[in-house]
Amino acid sequence: MLTGHPLLLYILVCVSSVLAASSPSTRSFENSAIVRTFELGGSLVHVTTTYAIKALESGAKTYTLALSSEERRKASWLEVKVKGQEDTLPIVEHIVGSNKPYHLIDVKLPKALPVNGTLNIVLETIQTHATEPWPAKAAQTEEQAVKFTTDLFVVSPYSTAVQRTKLRTLSPRIITYTIPENLDQFTSEATASKSSATVTYGPYNNIPPSTNTAFYSKHQMPVTIHYNHDHPILEILTYDRSAEISHWGANLNIEDKIHLFNAGPELKGHFSRIQHQMQAFYGKPPPHVLPAMNLDLPPNVRNVYYYDLIGNVSTSRLRVAPPVPKGSPVMKHSALELRPRYPIMGGWNYTFTLGWDAPLGDSVAWDAKNGKYIAEIPVMLSFPGAVVNDARINVILPEGATDIEVSVPYPAVENTISTHTTYLDSTGRPKFTFIYKNLTTKHIANIYVTYKVSSSAHLKKPLVVATAFFSVFTIALITRRIDLTIHPKKKAK
Amino acid sequence: MSRAYPLPSNLSKETVTNTASLLRIIALALISGAAIASRLFAVINFESVIHEFDPWFNFRASKVLAAKGFYEFWNWFDPTAWYPLGRVVGGTVYPGLMATSGVIYNLLHALNLPVDVRNVCVLLAPGFSALTAWATYMFTKEMKDESAGLLAAAFIGIVPGYISRSVAGSYDNEAIAIFLLMFTFYCWIKALKQGSAMFGTVAAVFYFYMVAAWGGYVFITNMIPLHALVLMLMGRFSSRLYVAYSSWYAIGTLASMQVPFVGFQPVTTSEHMAALGVFGLLQIVAFSQLVRSHISSQQFKALLYFAVIGTGILGATAFIVLTYKGWIAPWTGRFYSLWDTGYAKKYIPIIASVSEHQPTAWPSFFMDLQFLVFVFPAGVALCFRQLRDEHLFVIIYAVMSSYFAGVMVRLMLTLTPVVCVASAVALSTLLDTYIDPREPEASNEKKSESETAPPSTNGTSTPEVAPAPVPTSTKKGKKATIAAAAQPEPTPASVIEEVAAAISPLPIAPKKSSSPQTKSRGIWGLDPRLTVIFNTLAMLSFFVFHCTWVTANAYSSPSIVLASANQDGSQHIIDDFREAYYWLRQNTPETSVIMSWWDYGYQIAGMADRPTLVDNNTWNNTHIATVGKAMASSEEAAYPILRKHDVDYVLVIFGGLIGYSGDDINKFLWMVRIAQGVWPEEIQEPNYFTQHGEYRVDAQASPAMKNSLMYKMSYYRYPELFGGDDGSDRVRQQKIPKGAVTLDILDEAFTSENWIVRIYEVRKEDNLGRDHKSANAFAQGKKRKRSKPQVRRRAIAVG
Repeated sequence: MLTGHPLLLYILVCVSSVLAASSPSTRSFENSAIVRTFELGGSLVHVTTTYAIKALESGAKTYTLALSSEERRKASWLEVKVKGQEDTLPIVEHIVGSNKPYHLIDVKLPKALPVNGTLNIVLETIQTHATEPWPAKAAQTEEQAVKFTTDLFVVSPYSTAVQRTKLRTLSPRIITYTIPENLDQFTSEATASKSSATVTYGPYNNIPPSTNTAFYSKHQMPVTIHYNHDHPILEILTYDRSAEISHWGANLNIEDKIHLFNAGPELKGHFSRIQHQMQAFYGKPPPHVLPAMNLDLPPNVRNVYYYDLIGNVSTSRLRVAPPVPKGSPVMKHSALELRPRYPIMGGWNYTFTLGWDAPLGDSVAWDAKNGKYIAEIPVMLSFPGAVVNDARINVILPEGATDIEVSVPYPAVENTISTHTTYLDSTGRPKFTFIYKNLTTKHIANIYVTYKVSSSAHLKKPLVVATAFFSVFTIALITRRIDLTIHPKKKAK
Repeated sequence: MSRAYPLPSNLSKETVTNTASLLRIIALALISGAAIASRLFAVINFESVIHEFDPWFNFRASKVLAAKGFYEFWNWFDPTAWYPLGRVVGGTVYPGLMATSGVIYNLLHALNLPVDVRNVCVLLAPGFSALTAWATYMFTKEMKDESAGLLAAAFIGIVPGYISRSVAGSYDNEAIAIFLLMFTFYCWIKALKQGSAMFGTVAAVFYFYMVAAWGGYVFITNMIPLHALVLMLMGRFSSRLYVAYSSWYAIGTLASMQVPFVGFQPVTTSEHMAALGVFGLLQIVAFSQLVRSHISSQQFKALLYFAVIGTGILGATAFIVLTYKGWIAPWTGRFYSLWDTGYAKKYIPIIASVSEHQPTAWPSFFMDLQFLVFVFPAGVALCFRQLRDEHLFVIIYAVMSSYFAGVMVRLMLTLTPVVCVASAVALSTLLDTYIDPREPEASNEKKSESETAPPSTNGTSTPEVAPAPVPTSTKKGKKATIAAAAQPEPTPASVIEEVAAAISPLPIAPKKSSSPQTKSRGIWGLDPRLTVIFNTLAMLSFFVFHCTWVTANAYSSPSIVLASANQDGSQHIIDDFREAYYWLRQNTPETSVIMSWWDYGYQIAGMADRPTLVDNNTWNNTHIATVGKAMASSEEAAYPILRKHDVDYVLVIFGGLIGYSGDDINKFLWMVRIAQGVWPEEIQEPNYFTQHGEYRVDAQASPAMKNSLMYKMSYYRYPELFGGDDGSDRVRQQKIPKGAVTLDILDEAFTSENWIVRIYEVRKEDNLGRDHKSANAFAQGKKRKRSKPQVRRRAIAVG
């Protein structure tokens, strides 16, 4: 059973604290500066917002952040830290208001600030599905351009002295960007400026508390940037991972069923092989084509397999990295150069299965103190720049595992426990399923499972198999010795 | 009695028999292992994948069976095949193969062994080859003895003629059918020998299984009656034959009619009439035997005279009337082509277009059977020695299947088992003779010397080596052999006989009855023995090498994957078929209809999971001819055909870039011929040849060829690969002129990496109502040609 499952705890805390949360006092803090940076990618947009805060009252321990509702909806990952520190700050989200255009998050500061005390807080989010290929269709020879829209002002319940918003793209070729007007109240200079790959909005000065409808209707406005993106925009529509722990085989098998989708501009017209071959020959492949991709597998893997619905895909290479001692960070991954059957053009799909075996000792440890095993199961592979829309992670423990405790790095949308029956099992194995949405590279973390397997449970399988064979032989032995003939003939020999 | 080499003398009889039976079991297990292992080349060199064409359908049907159960499979209507007709799969298929793998799959899953249905299908044929080896062992044991059986099992285990249809992944009906064939024959022989109704019933059950599994069951349906008929004609009618045949025929026929695809054929088609006729004849003969035992011979003669004439007239009239009325179907075309190899080419091009229906070339006999080809007649000749009922069976089988194997490549498969059996009989007789340690009597030797010329050159030296044995010991030995079981302490001589019998198992029964302990003929000394044995062993080991080589190189390619070697010797896989099929599966709407030549129908259905117009189940010649016509016509003529059949994509196979010779341009003439068979006015084969009667694709190709859809689809934009030059076709070694091919009704949708598979999307009607040609020209920004002024200007210039 899920004893002491952190998710349940988390929800309880959420609910209770939301009830307790009151509307923030606009008097307790002031933002000396806010800088928001968008790192614009294909399917992912990495947003970093730095708040330089100043306390106006002493003893205030809760700082309230604000995001627009749209931003909160798109953010698949959210984290608040004190600048330069590793630990994340505990946050409490207000219930998402149905009609409010903004969303509030209370951050518990590490310690109460004195009057005029300052602190730099960093909010990091990853937005998924925030960009849109524009034009929505591109021929094989054409470029790939993407459109991204966000709000001009960073909203905050406190007044802000200076505010900047930066939009940074990977390629310096920015096609257009919105130049906002009627901002004389906040700035006397140009409202927006561009230098190579960065568009900067601001600095804007003396912004009043903006978490109110008045500010929204009067000042808030969307800004749009349209830029070239030189890498394929990938989405993984479904990601189904099964991690199966086998004590008898001393093996951890991980199998991923992946549905890859090129979310870039849809291919206009048709795919021409000769054009593709010419582009490859001249070294100018179009940015929206994915001919191959490199994946990092864990070190010391074996029996790596890569197949799809109609068999093995023979066009891949693998370099296995040596094992690393347990606990030390993995510096070198096994590199898999994965080449789909056909180059994936915009709007094309490709489903495949990727799996491997790894020595169990690399990811399961024995805790002698309480006689338990601890298993470390990575949630997903790293697909740089891609978003995983729907993920389903199955962890299958050995047959007869008891006292199971599961710890997830972040709460799942849904989780279930079921029984999985495979190779010569008699009672089946416990299987935990976690369902996630919109996973990104930031979500790469481990699920930790602790469990007990008694020695009698270990011996169950050989006993069952031995019994089965024994009974077969016994039956054969008996049937050979029974004479069923009606008229027994004399043995004439 | 003298011996060429000493034998251990302190062994009890039980030890000898137990050891012999243990050795037999081990040998059979090893043979099974070898049979399975040599079929795994395909999995090791490539992967665990279904091969070729028909297996893809069987695999697809098995998946339905595994996923939905037998009842659903039985009623399965496949709307994607033969679009728009569809196919009632349950009623048009031999379900034995799918049922077998379904049972195995469900059994494994019941034991919590989650084996993929694909792996069950891939490994079914190797698994059954082990069973075939066992069945052949049992069959040959009835012909001669256990040692011949073991040899036959070893032969059938690795002989390429059988491996060609049963490598891992070759998931076709033949995979299980050869086992069923051999086992049915074994049960028949057993039933005949013992007059056992039980074995007759077992034979009928396996016959039913065979009917459910393969269309080649007709071979059994005619072999067993033929055997029975020959036995009757030779005056060997017996109650054993009566019991065996009646039980087999009655139960087997009733059972076979339960297979929906067979239905009432066993009583309505000509192929099955022989079995029915022999059954009737057997009843008459049995009845006449009964009558004869009750009345005097004079009366009987008269009765027989009228009865024979009356029955003959009645039977013939009935047969003619029934055939005339259409109750008995006449012979099918496939059957006629067995008698006249040119028949199919003239009347049914679709049968002739299949390569496995071609007459067998001589080298393939050697390739498939190696030295067994030479030993086989010797084995058949040896069957005449004793000519028991079961030997007659082998002789008839050998004659019939030799003929059929010569007519059709694919029937090589039915020849292979009997070749293995007969060769095993021959070789084991040879080995028996030369391993047998007993040496002939000197006195007899002298007698034979006086009668005939001395057979061996070492005859002078042998008398000294082999002194005449004491007569008493021989007598004692003989007695001991007979009463060995009763004697607690067997004499050394009898033990030696037992050991000799175990090592070189001459049939014990004839030894006791006919051949005396002291032989008149035999081999002297060790050296001739060693020479012959060594030679035989060398032949056998060369056979093993040959089989392994042929299996590895010729029969283990899945044919959906092509292999070539890189410069560094590593294997390079050309995987174009699956690339294109998978693209279709992933990136086209599920309802898109694919048109291709029928060869690829099953593969498209299996791998791309899309509806096809025609597939390898070639039951509808007109539909196939329609596709042939579309491929052979010009764009304007083909477009209405494509649109009327809702075709979304057209798929062609083109090997010109990498030199893959089995492509559609090489098959094109068959498409033309088949289309011509249905539309002789529109498609004519000679139009596709040049004026000199050559089949060309270069600049000199005939206009009909150049305008055909097939030509255009194959070479569309192909010369562009060669920069400014003309394209070069590596299969036909011809130059393709650049800029000659334009396509208006089709868009190139996908071309695989090595250009083997090319897929085109059919354009819909133009929105503005223009024809495709002008719409295309407009889209490319070409001005409409003003031909008139140009012509005038040129005329002036010329003039």
